[in-house]
Amino acid sequence: MIRFTRKDSHPVRFHIRQVTATLLAAICLLLSLSACSSGGSDLHSDDAIETETADPAVASSRLRVMASFYPMYDFAVKIGGDKAQVTCMVPSGTEPHDWEPSAGDIAALEDADLFIYNGAGLEHWVDRILGTLGNQDLVVAMASSGIPLRTEGSHDDEDGETDSLYDPHVWLNPQYAKLELERIRDAYVTADPDNKAYYDANYQLYAGQFDELDRLFSDTLAPLPRKDIVVSHEAFGYLCDAYGLNQIAIDGLSPDSEPSPAKMAEIIDFVRDNEISAIFFEESGSSKTAEAIAAETGVETLVLNTLEGISDEDQRAGRDYFSVMKDNLASLTEALGQR
Amino acid sequence: MEIFEYAFMQRAFLVGILLAMTIPCIGIVVVLRRLSMIGDALSHASLAGVALGLILGINPVAGAAAACILASLGIEAIRRKLPRYSEMSIAIMMSAGVGLAGVLSGFVKSSANFNSFLFGSIVAISDLEMYLVAGVSLAVLLMFLLLYKELFFIALDERSARLAGVPVGAVNFIFTIMTAITVAVAARTVGALIVSSMMVIPAACAMQLGKNYRQTVLYAVLLDVIFMVIGLFAAYYLDLKPGGTIVLISVILLVVILAVKKLLGLSD
Repeated sequence: MIRFTRKDSHPVRFHIRQVTATLLAAICLLLSLSACSSGGSDLHSDDAIETETADPAVASSRLRVMASFYPMYDFAVKIGGDKAQVTCMVPSGTEPHDWEPSAGDIAALEDADLFIYNGAGLEHWVDRILGTLGNQDLVVAMASSGIPLRTEGSHDDEDGETDSLYDPHVWLNPQYAKLELERIRDAYVTADPDNKAYYDANYQLYAGQFDELDRLFSDTLAPLPRKDIVVSHEAFGYLCDAYGLNQIAIDGLSPDSEPSPAKMAEIIDFVRDNEISAIFFEESGSSKTAEAIAAETGVETLVLNTLEGISDEDQRAGRDYFSVMKDNLASLTEALGQR
Repeated sequence: MEIFEYAFMQRAFLVGILLAMTIPCIGIVVVLRRLSMIGDALSHASLAGVALGLILGINPVAGAAAACILASLGIEAIRRKLPRYSEMSIAIMMSAGVGLAGVLSGFVKSSANFNSFLFGSIVAISDLEMYLVAGVSLAVLLMFLLLYKELFFIALDERSARLAGVPVGAVNFIFTIMTAITVAVAARTVGALIVSSMMVIPAACAMQLGKNYRQTVLYAVLLDVIFMVIGLFAAYYLDLKPGGTIVLISVILLVVILAVKKLLGLSD
């Protein structure tokens, strides 16, 4: 079987030493390369959504705005209107919690006039990136500043390994979303004081819609008999607090890890004992485990969108914060209205 | 018993036992032909099929089956070209599959959806998956019984099988296709880890106990059913992840069998 034998052993040994040295050198090179690129592994900047640029002359006079992820992008577009060219950094369909900016995204930040992010620990990369930017004129706005934050895992979560202490999903409460819109308006005014009246007018227009959405939520949800919702992603704390609901999160049911059968049995018992009528997903068909639980208990599966990344198709169809939140309200009404 | 009150556990036992009866039948032949790693290679190659299915809007399980069939035919072709190094063909197809899956996954829009197809779990099995497993298991058992002598002959010595008049090409083709479909369906349903271990470990145990081919096959099936049942009970009552538990139990029992044989002085 062995075809490649050598007659004398000395050259072989020498050869092996050479190979070892080459391998070590290659490993060192690889390690240094991976260390360099670990900041941004994927060049996703191509996928980022941009508002259309009509002609170059207009584009250059428009404010260049970078928004971290979808709700920030949506709010930034609402205030900026045609005075701003807004780029959404996290591409659609991507989970913003795990996302990190690529080299291209950081280069875009160097050229930007305004950077808007949510804060409260959602964009864990912000502090690190902002410290390295050479862009002195960049106006930075943390939209969640001033909003009273919930601490994450206020339920009995023993193995909470998250490094952020606060629940970042403030925008799911329309009143807090309105506060974020106000922060974003202030940031626009700082970056571009000449157009203050325009930004103010846009803010007034949408602030009214947020109030209207808030009234719609409280008027619709208050008379419903049920108050408990079972969710696959514990993101609805602010929404629940605002309208007197109670969220129960199915922990450990991320689609990429296998559930333990004992944990599944526990959740099934909970759903049965509390006569829960529906389990909410962020996206349909995203968790086999949650579907198995729904099939076993006979409860419905409904979509409750966190707005963290809405798909390209939805955006082309003209969907935004308000239409998605109204769908969420319809899902909640369906689940909580059953007797 | 409390464990059988839950439909998902009943399903886990049903699907688990069905697969434990069929996969070792394929496994014995695969091991004798020095292709032990084929389960791993095909389940990796099927990832490319899942990604392609999601991109083109085809059912990802169908995509996985197609990718597995192509990969296993590729393995056969390379193996025939380089019969001395049959394990090399597996490494080549595995690399090709993983590489293709890596590139294609960049085009899949929803990553959550992709993950749910990549990782099967024996405790989260849908209706469709259960029927698919039942159908595939029956087909494999039927093929194994009908081609029992032919497969045995080919597994031991392909050349003399050909001389004895066995239609080696046709039997190989059928066997390859059945292996591919079984891995594609089982990997989506119970996870690649369980599938690749079920191909090899029961066969390894049975070879320690069986005195001839028939006995070895029967031992492999019996042992794998035992591993599956113990594994599911242990996972449920000790609150462990089922896939890893089932595999570890089978490895532990293999070590026990080897140790007992050694103690009794039976090993040659």
